[in-house]
Amino acid sequence: MPREYVMDWGKIRFFLSEVWRNFTRNVVMQITSIGTVTVMILLLGTLLFVQHTLGRVGSEQIAKIEISAFMSDKASPADAKRIVAALKADPRVRSALYVPKAEGLRQMRDRLKGQIDTSLLTSNPLPDAIRVRVVDPNQVHAVAALLRKMPQVANVEYQRDFVERLVRLVDVMTKVGIAFILLLIVTSAIIISNTIRLTVYARRREIAIMQLVGASATYIRLPFICEGFLAGVLGAAIAVLLLTFGRWQIWPKVTSALPFLPLRESGADFGLFALQLLLIGAIVGIGAAWISVGRYLRA
Amino acid sequence: MISLREVTLIYPNGTRALDGIDLEIAKGSFVFLVGHSGTGKSSLLRLLYREQRPSKGSVIVDGVQIDKLKRSKVPELRRKVGVVFQDFKLLPDKTVWENVAFALQVTGARTRDVMRQVPRVLDLVGMAHKSRVFPSELSGGEQQRAAIARALVNNPKILLCDEPTGNLDPVNTNEVVDLLHRINLKGTTVLVATHNALMVDRMRRRVIRLERGKVLADDERGLYHRVESEIQPEGEDLAFAARVRNGLGQDPIFSE
Repeated sequence: MPREYVMDWGKIRFFLSEVWRNFTRNVVMQITSIGTVTVMILLLGTLLFVQHTLGRVGSEQIAKIEISAFMSDKASPADAKRIVAALKADPRVRSALYVPKAEGLRQMRDRLKGQIDTSLLTSNPLPDAIRVRVVDPNQVHAVAALLRKMPQVANVEYQRDFVERLVRLVDVMTKVGIAFILLLIVTSAIIISNTIRLTVYARRREIAIMQLVGASATYIRLPFICEGFLAGVLGAAIAVLLLTFGRWQIWPKVTSALPFLPLRESGADFGLFALQLLLIGAIVGIGAAWISVGRYLRA
Repeated sequence: MISLREVTLIYPNGTRALDGIDLEIAKGSFVFLVGHSGTGKSSLLRLLYREQRPSKGSVIVDGVQIDKLKRSKVPELRRKVGVVFQDFKLLPDKTVWENVAFALQVTGARTRDVMRQVPRVLDLVGMAHKSRVFPSELSGGEQQRAAIARALVNNPKILLCDEPTGNLDPVNTNEVVDLLHRINLKGTTVLVATHNALMVDRMRRRVIRLERGKVLADDERGLYHRVESEIQPEGEDLAFAARVRNGLGQDPIFSE
């Protein structure tokens, strides 16, 4: 009958009151549902945020991997300049820069400004240095070995180990996190679906009457689907609020506690990120509801 | 309007509820289904609103073979068939008005139609003055009338009643019988499964007698206890039966 498709205020009001009746039928279970979604989304959000940040730090570091060759005390600035010239001729080298120790100290002061009080340094502990960047990160080892062999060079350092470890850490964390979150998604889906099954059970008389008088399966399902959607979105919304709070209150403390890690905010895409988390909550809620109501109505 | 062809219904536990039933029920007729408990009256009604599918045979309601009906088409059938039960099945947390309106609202009726249709059927069943009352505050007869209003609010072509007076005293029974009679006069096909001899005997309508899942008798103007064929009446018995029938025919309510 075409009357299904005509909408009016009375119909909407009736429908919303049905949804609300469902949603508030078992408050304790509903809170449990919402709570698990909150925990799930909170962990998911934290993991994605940290992974995203560290991942970006990793790729940034790999892109600008830099070899620092520290000159021995005996080497003169002329030696250093000669080496720089030789390096510049090497096709594997993108750039080579001589940094006298005074300049090195100034750069370090700039970088650590406001994080560590460098005014306590009364003398310059840094040697003269040459900073080298290679074209391809895989050539770092070879170039570093070349520098190491030079008698004027006392020490060669590059961040490769640190970068590789960071990448590996992010990788492991992602895998463990995803496994954990999958588990949580399943858990919250089961809890939501159980809650809805309780609502379905509490409303079995209404459902029987609806079926008897010829309500469509979709119409019977819809209030329960909405209930699942509400639980999912509410849970996710609470998690997003907590994440927002964490981003403003906790994240700055983390970054200041780790001054050597160049961690920066991802910033602009946080809104999109929050939206995605809400969407995930909604999908879990709707999916769980769909499964539990579908099973009941088919019986 | 309704036609059953060689319908057999065997439940999963092996019970043969209906056994080769052939029936034709004309549009606008009033039919009683009688027989002992467990003879298949309720099973037969359940076939007609597709709560149950026959194990064999076909069931045709309003030109549609409903045993083959897809699940998605069942709601369409249910809107053409109103059903009333012995235990009323009213929703206790809704008023009479809300119970009746519910049947329209959940089938997607427009609010305008709900506002027009609900008072109309409540008026028909004589429950307009109790529309704001909850089922628990009503008598059995009133509850049944509210349930009938709910069954009628979608304007069904067929009204199926499964023991509608089973929980009612004689006064309330009479009210319900009277109501079903008036509904039938408006053109709705009415099918009543009952144990109530009083109701059957007063109406003198078609009586289909089931026994062990078969049609034992089908009388156009039958009585609850089959006077004519069962007892094989002779002389005096026939005269008695005629007297009974005449007496009933003079009933001011039910004589046509």
